[in-house]
Amino acid sequence: MTTRQFLLSGWNWNPAVVAACVLAIIGCLVIIPSLTRQRAWPLALGLMLFMVAMISPVGTLASGYLFSAHMLQHLLLLLVVPALLLAGLPAQAAKNSKCDKLTNEYKLPVMETTSAWVAGVGAMWFWHIPAFCNAAAASGGIQGLQTISLLVMGAIFWWPVIGPREAQRLTPLSGVAYLSSACMACTLLGIFITFSPVEVCSIYHHPVDRLGILPLIRQGWGLTPVVDQQVGGLLMWVPACLIYLIGIIGQLVRWYGNSQAEGVPTLTTAKAGNTASS
Amino acid sequence: MNTPVSNAIPSGQPSVARETGWLYGWITTVDHKRIGILYLLAALFFFCVAGTLALIMRLQLAVPNNTLVSPLAYNQMFTMHGTTMIFLVAMPMLIGFANYLVPLMIGARDMAFPRLNSMSIWMLIFGGILLYFSYVAGDPPATGWFNYAPLNQPAFSSGPGVDYWIAAILILGASSVATGVNIIATVLSLRAPGMTMRKLPLFVWMMFITAFLIIFALPPLNAASVMLLMDRQLSTYFFGPMRGGSATLWQHFFWTFGHPEVYILALPAFGMISEVLPVFSRKPIFGYEFVASSGVLIALLSFGVWAHHMFAVGLGHAAETFFGASSMLIAIPTGVKIFNWIATMWGGSLRFTTSMLFAIAFLINFTIGGLSGVTFAAVPTDWQTTDSYYLVAHLHYVLIGGSLFGTFAGLYYWFPKMSGRMLSERLGKWHFWLTVISFNVAFFVQHILGLIGMPRRVYTYPDLPYMGTMNMISTVGAVLMGVSVLVLLWNIGWSLRNGRRAGDNPWKGWTLEWATTSPPAEHNFERVPPVRSRRPLWDLAHPESPDPPISGVVRQDSPYLERNFTGMWSFILSEATLFIMLISAFIYYGVYRRGGPNPAGSLNRSTTELFTVFLLASSFTFWRAEKNLHRGNPKGFSAWLSLTILLGLVFIVGQGHEYLDLWRHGVSINTSLFASSFFTLTGLHGLHVCVGLIGLLILLWLGLAGDFKTGRIEAVRTLGLYWHFVDVVWIFVFTTIYLIGPRL
Repeated sequence: MTTRQFLLSGWNWNPAVVAACVLAIIGCLVIIPSLTRQRAWPLALGLMLFMVAMISPVGTLASGYLFSAHMLQHLLLLLVVPALLLAGLPAQAAKNSKCDKLTNEYKLPVMETTSAWVAGVGAMWFWHIPAFCNAAAASGGIQGLQTISLLVMGAIFWWPVIGPREAQRLTPLSGVAYLSSACMACTLLGIFITFSPVEVCSIYHHPVDRLGILPLIRQGWGLTPVVDQQVGGLLMWVPACLIYLIGIIGQLVRWYGNSQAEGVPTLTTAKAGNTASS
Repeated sequence: MNTPVSNAIPSGQPSVARETGWLYGWITTVDHKRIGILYLLAALFFFCVAGTLALIMRLQLAVPNNTLVSPLAYNQMFTMHGTTMIFLVAMPMLIGFANYLVPLMIGARDMAFPRLNSMSIWMLIFGGILLYFSYVAGDPPATGWFNYAPLNQPAFSSGPGVDYWIAAILILGASSVATGVNIIATVLSLRAPGMTMRKLPLFVWMMFITAFLIIFALPPLNAASVMLLMDRQLSTYFFGPMRGGSATLWQHFFWTFGHPEVYILALPAFGMISEVLPVFSRKPIFGYEFVASSGVLIALLSFGVWAHHMFAVGLGHAAETFFGASSMLIAIPTGVKIFNWIATMWGGSLRFTTSMLFAIAFLINFTIGGLSGVTFAAVPTDWQTTDSYYLVAHLHYVLIGGSLFGTFAGLYYWFPKMSGRMLSERLGKWHFWLTVISFNVAFFVQHILGLIGMPRRVYTYPDLPYMGTMNMISTVGAVLMGVSVLVLLWNIGWSLRNGRRAGDNPWKGWTLEWATTSPPAEHNFERVPPVRSRRPLWDLAHPESPDPPISGVVRQDSPYLERNFTGMWSFILSEATLFIMLISAFIYYGVYRRGGPNPAGSLNRSTTELFTVFLLASSFTFWRAEKNLHRGNPKGFSAWLSLTILLGLVFIVGQGHEYLDLWRHGVSINTSLFASSFFTLTGLHGLHVCVGLIGLLILLWLGLAGDFKTGRIEAVRTLGLYWHFVDVVWIFVFTTIYLIGPRL
């Protein structure tokens, strides 16, 4: 089988996945007309990437063939798709909320933030414990569970950063700290996977060749199990961090962008200057 | 609406109680300005020493087959030159400026922890002396500034030189981390009212980012140094491949530190340039937001790309491709900065003072160094040029053309503030042209030398075509650079006595440091001017056309945190990095090397679980103690605190028991790599518990003496953070060693 043939034929028409996608498309078609263009784009893009991760050849390779494809899928589901979907969520819901009042007294919601961070980083680490990684690659049910948990945990992780309620978001500098520490945590895992001589997910080292594409992968693409795992680790290490980095750029843009929030009391510096000279 | 309480003037400033003469005053000083100057003097001194070493090396290389110095002496010289220039010149000079200027620029009275600051400078000075004591001991290190394994192993470097190197590095590392913690706490808690994070002068911004780089980047080096020290003193073999250790791990650890270190040296210079260029172009900085943000991005990227120093090691094509690509990314935020600086000058009315000239020379020479840096990110090019004089040229363009030129720009700019007198512009121009021309003469040819095949770190070379000529040109340039340093020294000495009086604001600068006298009084400001925009002094001088005020949600954007709390948290982050490195090392050795005692066979998990419960319980009892203190119940506080100490002691005894048990079964620190990493990791944690216990005992003593009755209980909260941290670390250590370890 050539690469071209594989790209044409290697689509994953798993009924459950297809059904989920169809439902999501219908849902989007209902929502999108009511959205501004600024929100519609991320939503559509998120949906498309979800299908890339699940149905396209990436999904096929991820189920049992390539660890690196699994990692790509993992990153899309955990970091990219939920972020885009959140960015596409309508923001009106925030209007009638009590928390919407911007107050000068800001208190960092430590518990919520920590839990969200642990959810995002934990999902990454948890699904790479060898036993769970293998189980997810071997059984369709667990894989479904994994997919759902990645999406949900990803959404929880991004909530404090790009959640629909402006008032509940982290302040930009806390956001930078939140994202960069997450970046460090995933870098660490990436490093471990890249340099580990141990098989993280042994099922990818001995794939069952259902589609007859193993010769193509091994000889055609030159992806031996060892290189495959390395590429997987490196994907988690470098591109994953770039995703966080984009989030950080977003935080900085937000920070410098809102120089005058409406109706917010600002510090009268003249008075402050006088107190400083005491 | 309430105005935030001024944090700018911390209460209870320690001051020199009885100053008997200037010497006593300088030695005992805790004033950030004096400490800053001490840093600068130390840097200048070591600059002259390491510069002399460089000159001798250049003289040796002036002609082919020269015999001026022996091969061994040459090796010792480039090692000492590199180590000194990085740790004892570049870092102290930048930290010195930071020490002097950060509190002034944010309108504070001093650094957050003046005594810690004093500790840092003296650790630096004695660390430097210790490094050079190796010459007295007869065996300076000869292993290069990155001290690669296995050359650093006792089998190949049997003298005490490497041990002196390790000791010095550990001391300098601790000193730097303390400074990093200090700068973070200063910026986050002592800004004058109105000085929000969005109005911070860019030099402060860059130092703030650098401080984070320092607290995260130095621990890997310290971890590696500790492990190397064990290799040399306790016959372990972490980095000795002859017995199964890993030389590559040293490189990973070293460059995890080494690459961020490049930005520790570059970012402060970026900050200085960003202060100097606008003032001498009479324009506000172009794209303040971009300059500040790109600093953050550079810092983050710098942690992810260290492997590009290791392309020649053989990491595999996959890894090299990824790191090549990500390394090139760093050029983007750096390029953004360069364009911002050019745009700042564009259309401005430029004043070509010496400071400005150095800033412009920085732009040009740093860009050359940056561009040759990008060529190293391309893996095939790297293989050809690594460890050649092309690399030597690159790193000197970055460190001299970048850091040093930036610092010279800063020196001419801020010298009047520090001394009250202007540096001579006439001598300054001589210094500038001599420096720039001689630097380019000395180092530009080295690019070509490297490309035609001259390796770095060779004490001599054969008489091949062009090599002799180009080396001679380089040596002439180096000698001229030596002369330029003499001009600088003469200028400083002459100007201190005869320089024109500077006045408060000789350059018509806009940041707060120019609002006070030159040199500033010990308390810095009589009165901090109001800060409404990024150029408070412009607003003051031009009330008719002030800058647009920068406002926003002050509390949200710019927290004024409590300084002990901030300081302890930054320290904890740094310590956490240290433990992450050691835990990683444990896993690495567990995965890669088998044989000898292993966790499954030799550890007794159930006893340790018991002692773990004791340690974790101590966190709970401490929490109770703190609650009692809040309720105003000192007796309850003392009782719960005593219980905490007792629980901690039980844990230490338990660990001692475990060690004894292992020894009885013939497992000691050098038995196997598992044993070495086990004892290192748990031992270091035990050390932290002991330090925590000493702290708790002091708290108990203070509590019994009634110190907390006044309600000033920050010490309890701060030390509590540390104690909880030690317990949390144990959870990770325990999980790694006892739960994961046996399964590796």
